[in-house]
Amino acid sequence: LEDIVNMCNSQQLSFILQLVSPRLKKDPMMSLPDELCLRVLSFIDDPKDLARASQVSRRWRDLVSDDMTWKNLCLKHDYQRRLSEVQTSMQYSNFLRPDPTSSFYQPYSAPAASVTFDDASSLRRPRSYKSHFKQRYLVDAAWRTGGRNITKNITQEGGVVTSLHLTKKYIIVALDNTKIHVFDTEGNELRTLRGHMMGVWAMVPWDDVLVSGGCDRDVRVWDLTTGVCMHTLRGHTSTVRCLKMSDANTAISGSRDTTLRVWDIKNGVCRNVLVGHQASVRCLEIHGDIVVSGSYDTTAKVWSISEGRCLHTLSGHYSQIYAIAFDGYRVATGSLDTSVRIWNAATGECQAVLQGHTSLVGQLQMRGGTLVTGGSDGSVRVWSLERFCPIHRLAAHDNSVTSLQFDDTRIVSGGSDGRVKVWDLKTGQLVRELISQGEAVWRVAFEAEKCVAMALRNSRTVMEVWSFSPPEDVL
Amino acid sequence: MAENDERALQKVSLQSNDGQIITVDRVVAERSLLIKNLIEDLGDEAVMNEAIPLPNVNEPVLRKVVEWCEHHRKDPPQTTEDENDSRKKSTEIDEWDQKFMQVDQEMLFEIILAANYMDIKPLLDVGCKTVANMIKGKSPEEIRKTFNITNDFTPEEEEQIRRENEWAEDR
Repeated sequence: LEDIVNMCNSQQLSFILQLVSPRLKKDPMMSLPDELCLRVLSFIDDPKDLARASQVSRRWRDLVSDDMTWKNLCLKHDYQRRLSEVQTSMQYSNFLRPDPTSSFYQPYSAPAASVTFDDASSLRRPRSYKSHFKQRYLVDAAWRTGGRNITKNITQEGGVVTSLHLTKKYIIVALDNTKIHVFDTEGNELRTLRGHMMGVWAMVPWDDVLVSGGCDRDVRVWDLTTGVCMHTLRGHTSTVRCLKMSDANTAISGSRDTTLRVWDIKNGVCRNVLVGHQASVRCLEIHGDIVVSGSYDTTAKVWSISEGRCLHTLSGHYSQIYAIAFDGYRVATGSLDTSVRIWNAATGECQAVLQGHTSLVGQLQMRGGTLVTGGSDGSVRVWSLERFCPIHRLAAHDNSVTSLQFDDTRIVSGGSDGRVKVWDLKTGQLVRELISQGEAVWRVAFEAEKCVAMALRNSRTVMEVWSFSPPEDVL
Repeated sequence: MAENDERALQKVSLQSNDGQIITVDRVVAERSLLIKNLIEDLGDEAVMNEAIPLPNVNEPVLRKVVEWCEHHRKDPPQTTEDENDSRKKSTEIDEWDQKFMQVDQEMLFEIILAANYMDIKPLLDVGCKTVANMIKGKSPEEIRKTFNITNDFTPEEEEQIRRENEWAEDR
């Protein structure tokens, strides 16, 4: 054979090559059993490659349509869980959320959700991993480069937005001008809640109920479907600074009067007063029967809600505490002393002091093993709670970070430089800026396919609502 | 220690399906979990005296597999927990393995089948990654050319499946 080849000229050789080379080629999907074909496909990360592979032949199409392949891809892209849906300050109906203990999460310091469930829509309509992947992939692409947005003027003159909530049904905005505006999730105004005599500084939604408080010292309970104020709860002797709910009937408020009050919002009575702080209660967080509070007295306290008593006082900060997060085990506190401290909620001991910020740490959220903090120094920091060390330092804003939220995929930060920035949680890269720049961003909130930002622009308070849902006809 | 030294010197004979016998160090052969388990089950004595038959592997493929095992004799032993991890890890292949896998497609697929049969997960993965890399970044037509595949779709089917997959393009 070799002799024959040696006798050939180059033209003949290239003829032989053309003749032979296809014969040396073999369809791997025909040569290998299904399980090994799927193993090959499991090493393909880019859905574009899979989509193209499915167009090769019927055999390839059948293999690629195997849902194991797409399950793998979902895993690789971290699409297996829709935690971002659990994440935001929304409540699910009992149908969607059978577990009552995990049915409430706050947007800025959400506990790590241990729930593993697919997105809400898949409960209504079972979906293949392929369509799940496709949907998530398109949403991700929209977050990076697409999305639709609308802008609404909220006030003609300035006006400080003190609180923003994005729930499954509502966008709720509280202002220092006594008003609370309620919109549907598309940004259409539903109603304005009037009743507070002075600025509203804290609020918390639960299904169709909203609890709010502010400078007039009253805690009000509203029916969001009608706009009716169902209760005006009196007791605090100074500004209500923070509010959270532990179940559908229980709200806890923290006040400048140094106390926390536990309210039965159904019957409209104060169930307990938690006394112990020496100065204004600035922030609080609830998990199960435990509420943790951060105070201008430089301490944080761990309280039993049912017993109405203080279990631990967390001392160590040198200055006022402005932000707190709690996942049931760990408490994270952010302080004017520029440090962040991590505490064991069960023992009250300080586990770590995280240093790096150069100014007040006013924003902080904890999720799984990750903590994200934002400071008046304009930086956003991502920390590992396993190793108590920094993962990313983001030079996020020219001025204070005013608002911050993250999920499995991204961080969204707003700053007093008027910008909203989206960051990749894993790489720490800036993904994009979201809104047209104004004078300041008051608040941002997002969920899987939506982002709302409240900003001051041309001396007006405006709301931008971004949607990243793929159009129905694409899915 | 002494026992380990002794084991390191032990040889194992492997017999391909065409009757060829290849003798290798025991540690090399034990890269294959099939062989490792066999030695454990049958006991050292039995294995040392007789060649282990591998009825699914021919000589050229067995030589390639042994060559791979020789090169990777010092790699840490595989564990079951690695399984999911390695899937999540990048699809990069180290340089030596890349060169090793520069064989014709027939041989490549035979190596994959042999690695699967002999239960050598790292080799199986290198093989599967190599095939995956041959697929990546190619158009359907380029994939067909790479593997000499006939397009068996009707034009209508082809148009339909193209539209179904449009979402993944240009992102």
